[in-house]
Amino acid sequence: MRTLFSDVPRASLTAFYWAFILYLLLPLTLMMAMSFKDANFVAFPIGEWTFDWYVKVMQDKQFLEACLYSIMIAAATTFAATTLGVWIAMLIVAEGIRGQVIIFALACLPAVVPGMISAISLRIFISTIDMPTGTAAIILGHTVHAVPFVVVMALTRLRSMPGNLVDAARDLGADSVVAFFRVTLPYLGPALVGGMIFCVLLSIDDFVRTFFLGGYRPTLPMLIFAKVQGGMSPEINAMATLVLVVTAAVGLYAEFLTRRARTR
Amino acid sequence: MEPVVQFENVTKSYGKHVAVDNLNLSIEGGKFVTLLGPSGCGKSTSLRMLGGFETPTSGRILLSGKDVTKVPPNKRNVNIVFQDYALFPHMSVAKNIAFGLELKGLDNASIHRRVSELLELVQLQDYASRLPAELSGGQRQRVALMRALAPDPDVLLLDEPLSALDAKLRQQMQIELKAIQEKTRKTFMFVTHDQEEALTMSDTIVVMNKGRIEQMGDPHSLYGRPGSVFVANFIGETNLLRSTVVGTEGDVAALSWNGITITANPGGLSPKVGEHLYVVLRPEAIHCSAAEPTSGNRIKGKIRQRVFKGNHTSLMVEVGAGTLLNTLVHPSDVAQLNGEDIWVGWKPETATVIPDRHAHN
Ligand SMILES: Nc1ncnc2c1ncn2[C@@H]1O[C@H](COP(=O)(O)OP(=O)(O)O)[C@@H](O)[C@H]1O
Ligand SMILES: [Mg+2]
Repeated sequence: MRTLFSDVPRASLTAFYWAFILYLLLPLTLMMAMSFKDANFVAFPIGEWTFDWYVKVMQDKQFLEACLYSIMIAAATTFAATTLGVWIAMLIVAEGIRGQVIIFALACLPAVVPGMISAISLRIFISTIDMPTGTAAIILGHTVHAVPFVVVMALTRLRSMPGNLVDAARDLGADSVVAFFRVTLPYLGPALVGGMIFCVLLSIDDFVRTFFLGGYRPTLPMLIFAKVQGGMSPEINAMATLVLVVTAAVGLYAEFLTRRARTR
Repeated sequence: MEPVVQFENVTKSYGKHVAVDNLNLSIEGGKFVTLLGPSGCGKSTSLRMLGGFETPTSGRILLSGKDVTKVPPNKRNVNIVFQDYALFPHMSVAKNIAFGLELKGLDNASIHRRVSELLELVQLQDYASRLPAELSGGQRQRVALMRALAPDPDVLLLDEPLSALDAKLRQQMQIELKAIQEKTRKTFMFVTHDQEEALTMSDTIVVMNKGRIEQMGDPHSLYGRPGSVFVANFIGETNLLRSTVVGTEGDVAALSWNGITITANPGGLSPKVGEHLYVVLRPEAIHCSAAEPTSGNRIKGKIRQRVFKGNHTSLMVEVGAGTLLNTLVHPSDVAQLNGEDIWVGWKPETATVIPDRHAHN
C-alpha cells in the first residue's frame, strides 16, 4: 500500500524525527549538565565538574520546605480528587441514572478549561466567599483540575468490569459498602494507583493555579520561579534536575501500572 | 413437607413488556429443578427475582415459607452460580470460596475447614492459592459452584452455567453437577435453554414459554406425555400430526391425517367428530420394516432421506404427497431397509394426543 508520504524519502522522515528528539532533549541535557558546573554562573564551557550544587540544594532549607509543602498539597489533592473521581465514575456507570453523558461532560470540564481562566475564576470565587488565599485554596484549585483525570481512568476500568461481580458479592452476603470495598475497589486497583500518581504530578507541576490561589508560602514551582527571577545559577539547574528525575520516574511507573491494568 | 421455593402470582414487566407472566411455582426441597425454555422466555428474570436482583412487579416470592419479595440479595439464603462464573479476579480460589463464609461471620478455623472440604469435593485441593485467571474453564466452573455452595444456601440457583463450556466438558459437568446435587441433597434450581441438558440432570423440569409455565413434570412424563404443541416440539424430536377426528369408539379415536386414516388413544380428551387434534409421535416409536406390520397403525411409504447419526440412522419417509415422517432406525435394522419402499408402523398407545388450542380460530 502506498502511504501518504511515500514519496518523501525515508531518510528525511527519520531525520525529522531525530531533529525533534534533539530539540526535546538538548535543553534538558544542557540544564542537567550545567547543574554540575563548578562556577556561579550558567555558561559554556563547563570546565570543572562538581556535585557541590546538589549538596547545597539538599541543605537549602527553603528548597526542602517548598518540597514538603508541595508534597503535602499533592497528597491532599490526590486524596480529595481520587475520592471524588471514583465517586463520579461510579455514578456514571450506575444503572438507572439519567443524564450520564452530561455528568461525564461536566466532570471533564476542568480538564479543558484553560488553567489561567480556571485560576482567575477560582480566585474571584474565593474572595467572594471571603476565603483566604493559601493552602486550602490551592488544594481546592488542584483538586478541581485533577478530578477529570481520575474519572476517566476509573471509568475506563469500571466499564471493563463484569457487571455481575458486584452481584456475586451481594449474593454472597455483602451489602453495597462491603461489595464496593472488597470487590469494586480492588478491581479498580492498578488504574486507581495510576490515576493517583497522575494527580500527584499534576499538583506538583501546577504553577498558574498556585500562583493565583497561594499565600506567602511558596510551593516548589513558585520557589524556582522566584529564584530564576533573581538570576540563573547552577543551583536552580540542580533543583530542576532533581525534580525532573523524580517526576519522570514516578510518571513512568504510573504508565507501567495503567498499562498493566489495561492488559489484565 | 413445606416447599422451599414458592412463586405466587409473580409478574415482572419492563415497561409494556411482560418478562414473567403470573408465575405460580412451588418447589420441593432436595430436588434438581430445571427451568427450561427458549431464550427470552423469562428464565433468568425468574431466577434473578428469587436471588433478589429484580423486584417482582406484582406477586410474592417465599423462601422456606418466609416472604422474601422485598428482601435484598445479601439477606437471602440463596446463592447464584452465574453464567460467566463472576469469580473475583483478584482473589485466590480459596479466598473466593471463603468470601460468603467470612461475611457470615464464621471463625477462621471453620472457614478453613469448610473451604478444604469443598475443594476436596471437586478435587481442586491443589489449586487453592491460584487466581481464577490461572484456571481452565471447567475448573472455574467448579470454583463458582463451590463458592455458591459454601454458605449452605436453602436453594442454589444456576443460570446456564454450562453454556460457556465445550460439548465434551459440558456433558462431563452435567454428570458431575447432578452427582454433587445428590451428594449434598441441596435444592438446585437450574436454568437452561438446552432440552437435552434438562433431561439429563433434572428431577423436575419446568417448561417456560413467553413468561408462563407451559408444563411441569419429571423428564419421563414431559418427553412421553407432552401437554402442548410447544412442549412436544421443544423437548426431543417429534412428528406432529395435525388430524381431524372421523370417529370414536371407546377410548380409541379414528383420525384423518392428511387423508391417511390412523387410530390414537385420546386419553381423557373425549373428542367429537370433526374436531382437530395433534398426535405426537416420537421418531423412535415408529417401526420401519420391509414387510407390512400385522397390527397398529401402518402406512406404506418411500424413503426420501437417510442421515447416518452414528448410533442410529434417521430416515425421512414420505407417506403421502409431501407428507413426511421422521423415523429412527437402529443400526442392526438398517440393512434390511435397502429398498426405497417400506412400511412404517406404530402402536397407537405410544403416541400422545393433544388438543388443538387454536381449533376455533
Ligand atoms: N433489565 C431489563 N430491561 C428490559 N427488558 C428486560 C430486562 N431483563 C430482561 N428483559 C426482557 O425480559 C425477557 C426475559 O428475559 P430473560 O429472563 O433474560 O430471558 P431468558 O433468561 O429466558 O433468556 C426478554 O424479552 C428480555 O428482553
Ligand atoms: Mg437467561
